[in-house]
This record gives sequence, C-alpha cells and structure tokens, in this order.
Amino acid sequence: MNRRTFLADTGMGFTGLALGALLNRDGIARAATLGQPHFAPKAKRVIWLFMIGGVSQMETFDPKPELNKYAGKSIDETPYKDTLDNPLVKKNLREVITGLHKVHPKIFPMQVGFGKHGQSGMEISDWWPNVAKHADKLAVVRSMWTTDNNHGAQMQFHTGRHVLEGPFPTLGSWVHYGLGSLNDNLPQFVVLGDPIDTCCGGLGAHGASYLGPEHAGIQLDVNPENPLAFAKPDVSAGVQQKEFDLLKRFNNLSAVEYPDDASMRARIKSYELAFHMQTAVPELMRFEQETDSTRSLYGLDQDVTRPFGEMCLAARRMAERGVRFVQVFHGQNGGAGKWDAHSKLKKTHTELCAQVDKPIAGLLADLKQRNLLEETLVVWCTEFGRTPGAQGSDGRDHHPYGFSVWFAGGGVKGGTVHGATDELGFHAVENRHYVTDVHATVLHQLGLDPRRLEVPGRKRLDIDFGEPIRAILA
Amino acid sequence: MKTAGWSRNPIDAFVAATQEKKGLTPVAPAAARVLARRVFLDLVGVPPSREDLQAFLADRSPNAYEKLVDRLLDDPRYGQRWGRHWMDIWRYSDWYGWRKGNDVRNSSRFMWRWRDWIVESLNADKGYDRMIVEMLAGDEVAPEDPQVLRATGFLARNFSKYDRHGWMQDAVDHTAMGLLGITLKCARCHDHKYDAFSQKEYYQFRAFFEPYQVRVDRVPGQTDIDKDGVARVFDEDTKTPTYKLIGGDIQNPDKDHPLTPGVPAILGGAAPEIKSVSLPVAAYYPDHRGFVHADLLTQARNEITAAEEGLRKAREEFETGGKARKLEDKMLLAEKALTAAKAAVPALEARIAADNAAHSAPPAPDAEALGTTARKAERQAGILKADENIYRAQLEFAEALSAPKPGEVADEKKIAAAQKRVDAAKAALTQAAEGYTPIGKVYADSSSGRRLALAQWIASSRNPLTARVAVNHIWLRHFGKALVPSVFDFGRNGRAPTHPELLDWLATELVSNGWSMKKLHRLMLTSNTYRMTSTAGEAGAASAKLDPDNTYYWRMNPRRMEAEIVRDSVLAVAGQLDTTANGPEIDATGADQTARRSLYLQHTPDVPVQFLKTFDSANPAECYERNESVVPHQALAMANSQLSRKQAKALAARLAAEPQFIQSAFESILGRPPSAAELAEADRFFTGQDAAQARESLVHVLLNHNDFVTIR
Repeated sequence: MNRRTFLADTGMGFTGLALGALLNRDGIARAATLGQPHFAPKAKRVIWLFMIGGVSQMETFDPKPELNKYAGKSIDETPYKDTLDNPLVKKNLREVITGLHKVHPKIFPMQVGFGKHGQSGMEISDWWPNVAKHADKLAVVRSMWTTDNNHGAQMQFHTGRHVLEGPFPTLGSWVHYGLGSLNDNLPQFVVLGDPIDTCCGGLGAHGASYLGPEHAGIQLDVNPENPLAFAKPDVSAGVQQKEFDLLKRFNNLSAVEYPDDASMRARIKSYELAFHMQTAVPELMRFEQETDSTRSLYGLDQDVTRPFGEMCLAARRMAERGVRFVQVFHGQNGGAGKWDAHSKLKKTHTELCAQVDKPIAGLLADLKQRNLLEETLVVWCTEFGRTPGAQGSDGRDHHPYGFSVWFAGGGVKGGTVHGATDELGFHAVENRHYVTDVHATVLHQLGLDPRRLEVPGRKRLDIDFGEPIRAILA
Repeated sequence: MKTAGWSRNPIDAFVAATQEKKGLTPVAPAAARVLARRVFLDLVGVPPSREDLQAFLADRSPNAYEKLVDRLLDDPRYGQRWGRHWMDIWRYSDWYGWRKGNDVRNSSRFMWRWRDWIVESLNADKGYDRMIVEMLAGDEVAPEDPQVLRATGFLARNFSKYDRHGWMQDAVDHTAMGLLGITLKCARCHDHKYDAFSQKEYYQFRAFFEPYQVRVDRVPGQTDIDKDGVARVFDEDTKTPTYKLIGGDIQNPDKDHPLTPGVPAILGGAAPEIKSVSLPVAAYYPDHRGFVHADLLTQARNEITAAEEGLRKAREEFETGGKARKLEDKMLLAEKALTAAKAAVPALEARIAADNAAHSAPPAPDAEALGTTARKAERQAGILKADENIYRAQLEFAEALSAPKPGEVADEKKIAAAQKRVDAAKAALTQAAEGYTPIGKVYADSSSGRRLALAQWIASSRNPLTARVAVNHIWLRHFGKALVPSVFDFGRNGRAPTHPELLDWLATELVSNGWSMKKLHRLMLTSNTYRMTSTAGEAGAASAKLDPDNTYYWRMNPRRMEAEIVRDSVLAVAGQLDTTANGPEIDATGADQTARRSLYLQHTPDVPVQFLKTFDSANPAECYERNESVVPHQALAMANSQLSRKQAKALAARLAAEPQFIQSAFESILGRPPSAAELAEADRFFTGQDAAQARESLVHVLLNHNDFVTIR
C-alpha cells in the first residue's frame, strides 16, 4: 500500500486541524493565602441550580410583548429589522463553521402570560406561580450572553471557556480551591442530580481540571433508602480507625515520592472524607427528620415535584451543615437536556417548570425561615436562551445572544431586574454580562477575588475573571 | 537533535521532535519493577506475582523487557484485559429488560458468546480489519460458521423490542463513532452542524442496516433457545425501504424519496458495491442441521424413558396405595403419556425425512410421498398427545371442582383454567392437518450484502479514519491520554491531534502489518516513551513548568486502574483470581460470591455491580473513554466492601507463615519492598496488637494504598 495514498487527507480537516492558539503557560502565580477569603464575605455558601438544555428567556423572566404584536411576521417586517444587522450577530458568536447556524426570522409569540409580583412588581411568567411569590428576593439578570450556540455552552457556563478549548476548572472547583472547609465530615463541593451528558462536557461541568481531582464536585445520590454505598465497615470502629491511621501514614510517605501527583493528594483527602462520610451522609439524607409541612413545602408529597424537591431539600440540609457549593442539575436526558425546546415548547416548558417551580420556591422559603438565606447565595441558571423566531411550528432554537439568570439571598438585592435584551429578546443590549460575570459575582459574595486565584504555570485570560454584577448587590 | 540518542523506535523520534520544538526534556526510564508492574497491568490486567517479578528482575539479558512484552502478549489473559477495553468501545451489554419475567427488551441473550469471540480473536491476533468484517457481516462472510456468527453480537446488541428506530439509530450512531470516529448522529435531524455530513447521508448509512434482524440459532446439546444458542443477525427483509425522517421525526418520513445505502461522500471513495449473498441451507434453515435433528431425537427418546419411569412409579403407588381410585386415574394418565411419547419419535423421524427430501438439491423425487407420511405420523402422534392432555385436563378439572376440605370452596379460577385446557386439548384433536410441520423456521435464502459492503469499506486500508481511530484508542489505553483527545469525534468539533504525524505513522503501521494489534502493542510498549518514569522529579521540573499537562510525553502518565482491574487485582494478589475464560455472564448480584474476572460479570445498564460502578465502570450504552475520578465513594468501597476484607483475610493467612511478613505483604500487593520508613511504621503497627488482626489489617491497608490502584 502506498503510504502517501493512505495519508492523503480527505481535505475537510479530519485530524488535520491546526491546534488552537496555545495558552501562554508561563504566567506567574500570585501569592494567595488559600483557605481564607480575600475580604469579608457576604455569603458562606452557594446553591447552584442549573437547568440543562437552555430555558427560554421570553417565557420565564424576560417578557417581550412585541413578540405577540408581530407574531408570524418576519423580523424584516417589523420595526426591529436591524436586529439581524447588529454586529453582535457575528461578534457574539464563536462559530466552528462560519454562517452555518441559521437565524429563525419568523417571530414566535410568547407561549405564556406574565404577571407582576411582589412589592417590586417584577414580571414573571405564569409557569412560575410559586417562585413568583418570592419575587422580592430575586435579582434577575436579563442580559446574559455566551458564545457557543450549541450545548457545549453547558460546560462553558461552568468553566467560562468555549468547549473547543477543552476542560477548565469550574466555578465550584475554584470555590473549593479558594476556601477552607466549614464541615470536615462532608464534601465541600457536592453535585446532585444527573450531570450533563458527555455530548456537552459531561463531568467537566463539575470538574476541577488543572486544579486537581481533589477540588472536583462529588456526586451524591439523593436516595434516603440507600444514602451511601459501602457505608458500613465490617470490622469494629477501633480496628477501622487504626487501619485508616496507618493508611494515612503510608500514603503520606508515598506522597513524598510523588510530590507532583494530584491524584495521590486527592486520594489521601478522599479517605479522610470517606471516614467521616460513613455517618455524616446517612444522617444528612434522613428526611424523616423533617416535618410534614417542610416536606410539602418542597413538593415531596407530589409525584411531579418529588424528585427535584428531594434534591432541593438535600441542598438545604447540606447548606445547614456547611457544604460550601451544592450544584444541582435538572433536566438530564442522555443528550442535550430536557429544556432544549426545539419543538413543542409550550408543552415541555409547562411540564418542566412544574417539576422545579415548587421545589425552588420551597427552598427559598425554607432558607428564609431558618435564617439561612442571608448567607446562602442561590443561583438559578441555564446555558443559553431561545430564539425569538420559531423553529418549525412550535419550538425555539438555541440562542446565545441574550438570556436570563437569577440570584437570591447571599447579599443580593431582592426585587431587582438588571440588564435588558432588545424588544424582541434577541440581543442583550443593556449591561451585558458574559457567564464569568456570574462566576465573579458568586466569588465576590464569598469574599474571593478571582484575580488572586491562580495556579503556577496556568495563565488565565481576562475573560476568565469576569466582573461582579455590582448593581444587584445589596 | 539533543534527544536523538534517546530514540529507541520511530514513536520516540516523533515524540522527541515535538519535545525539541517545545524545549522539553524526557525524564529517565522507570525502575525495572515499576515498568514490570505497569506492563503487566496494561497487558494482562493483573499485577505481576512475586515470582513473575523476581524472574524478570533476575533476567540480565539485554532484551529481558522485550521478552516480557512478548510473553504477556501471548498470555491468554491479554485477550481478557483488552477484550474489556474493546467491549467498552463496542458497547457490550448483556440482555436486559425484565430478567425476572425472562423478557428480553434490549440487547440479546447469549451476548457472552460475542464477548468470548472478542477475547479469542484478540488472543489469536485476528486482524482488526477482519474483526470489523465479522462483527458487521459475519453472517454474510461465513454464514455456516457459528464461531464467526458470534461476532455479529456487535449488531445484535442494538436490539430493542419496542423501538426499531432507536435500534437503527444505535446501529448507525455507534458504528460511526466507534469504528470511524465521526459523530454522524448529529445529522439525524438536520445536516451536521460541523462536519460535511448531510441528513440524507445519515439515512443512507442507516440503509445498510435496514434489513437486519436478530435471531437465536440452536447450538449442539440444547434444544431450548431460551437456555442456550447463538444470537446472530440476518437480513430478514431486503424490501424494507429507508426514508429520511424529516426533522428526525419518526412520524414524518420522506416517502417520496426512498434511499439506497451509501457512505458519506466526504470520507472519500465511491460507495461500495453491494452484491447479494446467496446462503447455504444451514444458514437459512438452521434447524435443518444434523445436530439439531439428532438433539431433537435424543430429546424425544429421553421422553419415552421418562414416561416409562413415570408409569412404573404410578403402578407402584397404585399397588402400595390400596388401589385407590385417584391413583388408578394417575396410572391411566401415565399409560397415555407413554403411548404419546412412543408415537412422537416416529413422527419426528418422518418429519426429518420429509425435510431432508424437500431441502435436498434437487428436491428428492419422493419428497411429496415422504411429506404425506410425515403428516400422517404427526397426526397420529398429535391425536395420542391430545388424548393424554384431555385426560390430564379432565383430572385437573375434577380436582378443581372438589373442594379440598369440608367447608372450603373450590377455586373458581382453577376450575376455569382446567376447563380451558380440556377444551384446548379437544380442539387439537379435530384440527385439520395441512401438510406436516417442518422442524424449524425457514428464513430468506439470501442476504442483501449491504453490511458486508459497508464492513469492507470501513475495514479498507484506504479508509482515512478506521486505522487512526483504532490506533488512537490503543494509544489512550497505554499512555493514559489519547493523541486525538475526542476519541469518538475526529471531525471539526473534536479536538486536534497533539501529534498528527505520529498518529498517521502508527495508523500506517497498523495497516501494513496486516492490522495486527499485537504488533502495534509491541511497538508502543517497547518505545522509550512508554518506559519513562511517571514522575517529574528534579530532572523534569523545567518540563513540568512548560507543559504541566504532559501533552508532549516528556514523562509517563500515572493512571488509576479501571474498575475491573481493581477488583481483579485484589483477587489476584490474594491468589484467589479465577481466570477461567468463556461462558454465560455471572449474575451481577452474585459478584461477591465469585472469583472470576470482572469481564464475566453481567454488564447491563439496569443492574450495575456497585463496586465496579464506584470505580467508573463503563456505561454499557456508551463509553468511548473511561472516567478516572478520585472520590470518597471509592475509599469506602475499598475500605468496607466484602471483597477487600475477604481477600485481605485470605492473603494474610497465606503469608502468615513467611518469616518476613511485612516485606512479603508489600511485595505481593504493591510489587515492591517497604522503605525503611514504611517498615518502621508497620513494625510499630504490630506492637501491642493481636498479631493475626495486625496481619489482616496491614494487608487490608496495603490494598487501600494509593500505590495499589495506581499504575505508575
């Protein structure tokens, strides 16, 4: 066989792609005293609620009456025809192939009504009757943008980097890296619910990348029947204690041999944690300790709300016990995610909102009544929004140009609406925020300055740091 | 080139060239015992025994290491180790659905035969190209060879009882990702967003698979295909058209444009020529094979023996039981059963004779006469069987009617069921006979040849992707990192190769060496790149700064053992591992009760083996690369599982009599002696403790040691 024939590429780039710009790796580490906040924190912990697939902004927290007015018309036929000429259409997007992604020009009306809620009169869609009761606790940011128009945006939302650049440390892992523990018996960064699919970053959305596996999120099953596998030793507590002690001595001796082995460090820590988790995790999952009224607050008495309700309740119990960062996923479906409403948006979003609305409202109410909300920052988010134009007859496509997230508790100013998209909900036009601004806000409330979180030899880019969204802070 | 002297083979030259450009310096070779443990775990999936290690360390010949590599490649455990890797990529799954109800909803029964084929093929170093052909089209290249038919488990695995579209989708998506490294799946609903695959091409690819179905063929010695058989694919209906599903919607096929099979144009080469394959009788009529006839006859004759024994017992009971009316009834039933069983044999013989005549080429002149004879014999046997059944049903009916004890009511359900059986048996008597019943099902006597054409195109030396994708998978599993990090996506949305020339060269080597995987393993394992130490140390400090992720292989990557290797190694160091090959999957719930290698445990998405799952075992639905997490759950599994405690006890007992217990324990488990500091710690541990408990604890601790699960 002719080697050259075999090697002849097919001309379309398989295996022949030029490596993307290499990061400059010789950055100089800035001294940071790890384990201590850089300044006085407003919040102690974070509950991060991520909706997988891309929630529609104009059917949740960003009403767009103009969509109803021009329903069925092409964007060109409206007073907003210059929307598509906006340079952001290209600039905002990091496309893999230029121009491949189509804009859907035919305007799709809002699929749900909105009402004004709370003292603030915040507009929230009718699919969120329970969360709406907490309008005065929410700070909604309507002007988010990201760069990936596909579901790699899920990982991007957690790392701040486009999926093509590979995995990077996630927000939760930075928090873990930057702050000490509040409770040595439980992991500091917990993941609840099924993580995003491999298609879209998989475990990378709660990974630690170069920070090392000891800083990665730890998945816990919310299953009160069987809270933790292998939790019972079949030797006496005394024997087990002795074995763990000896193991630690051995591993520490070995760690001297392999000082650069991050997995070794992670394993030593995992044994320390495991020892305590044997009792702490089953205790954590003892939901029968909760009153009936608390249980129904989270919707544990309804089939529709129970699965997510149990996660929200577990998140509160973790917050109480000092878990620093609880990352809760909703909507895993072995692919792009359940919120990915390319068709039947009305039906699917109605169902999905019903699954999470009560549990989230219950979480906010419960944190409040236990005086935990002030020190617990709750973040509700998704990877991108959805197109103002219709996809097919009844769906909306991916939309990285403008979408909404919200914060509550943890020192944010409730009843705030910050930023805006244009009249069609297309571009974020006022107070635009890239995803790392959300990260910076979270870190800021925890008393961390992202610019002081660096690892030797790992150059970070300006875009990695973001800026805290100060307008929503109390 | 300053690292020129370092190169031992062309792999090193490619690696060194990049290092030179980046200003990186490779670190020193690993110590012999570290290298030995690494290569044992990599090739056979268990650490070297103390004897293995001593033998290697004692071998002073310059090619001692090369000899070890060759020996391990010839070791039958190699196929088991690498079989599990390919089972990940090829989505091995035992059947699942509703096991209690014996209801196969996904995958197929007897997938274990495909697993055994994988292990055997690897051990025999069957060419990768041939393996692809056998997996995709074994029924078309070797229609009469059950050994080859096992390979089509690759496709039988996609079976889905209620979802034909999902089944086809899996066949397309995973053939494309697993063998070609392309995400054709993204073109199911619309043209691919990144690569030049049209939606039409997606469905043209599906057309290769459209006619295939799954069936189970009998194997010698078992007539019940629920109990044993070969699950294999075959083309059932070549007329089924393939349509593009508009928007991927199964309700919306584009019926105006039926599609013919085709491969994506961008991958080059004309569409392979499809030639229909005409099948031999043994393939389209598998129950016409001699052993099936023989097994059925044996079974029928055994039934006579059983009926004779039944009658003898019934008579005895009648005599000893005071000649009770009930016992007389039973005796009469046994007589009828024997009569029926005796008639069944000539009926079966006549049917076989008729089948033989009908399927000989050309058909025998007496075929029709033999058919008539068979029909009569079958009818006669049928009447006698019905007579037996009626009598039995009547007895049951009478039994159901009579309440067992005074005061109790007869069970109405039982009565109704018994009545139903009486009626059914009577109906069988009056049914008109049309011809005789052939011995088994006759399938289509030709196959479309579509899958063979596809397989030959994929396994062609001119396919730009096949060899590269395979090489990348093998490299990943030896070096802990892939040359193309997105192992299932070589397209534009994937990641660029770190060493494109090396990838190309290795792919060419694979092809020009007859697609021999063993030669490729040998090439990789004997490189200097593979033999380096995995730690940076002082010498690597500068390189660590320049390339902290070790993208350019200036040191070896330490890895964590995969789930199966953790379990197998725990058993192996305790001397308990049972390396018996082949056979049906072992129930997942019985994992703690067996010492067989983990690849023989049931592997399905619904019932995971908890210990293996904790260590990131493969998701049977899709696993192109294992995750390598370090989480407290693993610590708990090692600390608290029955497995590690039981094996710790076993090993502690085995080593108890050795003069230097601590040294022996370290060498058995970690493959190295303890350091002075470790020895001191261990000595201290024994002080003031019950010695037996201390021995068990020490062994248990070493099984939990980070160095145990780490491949350095």
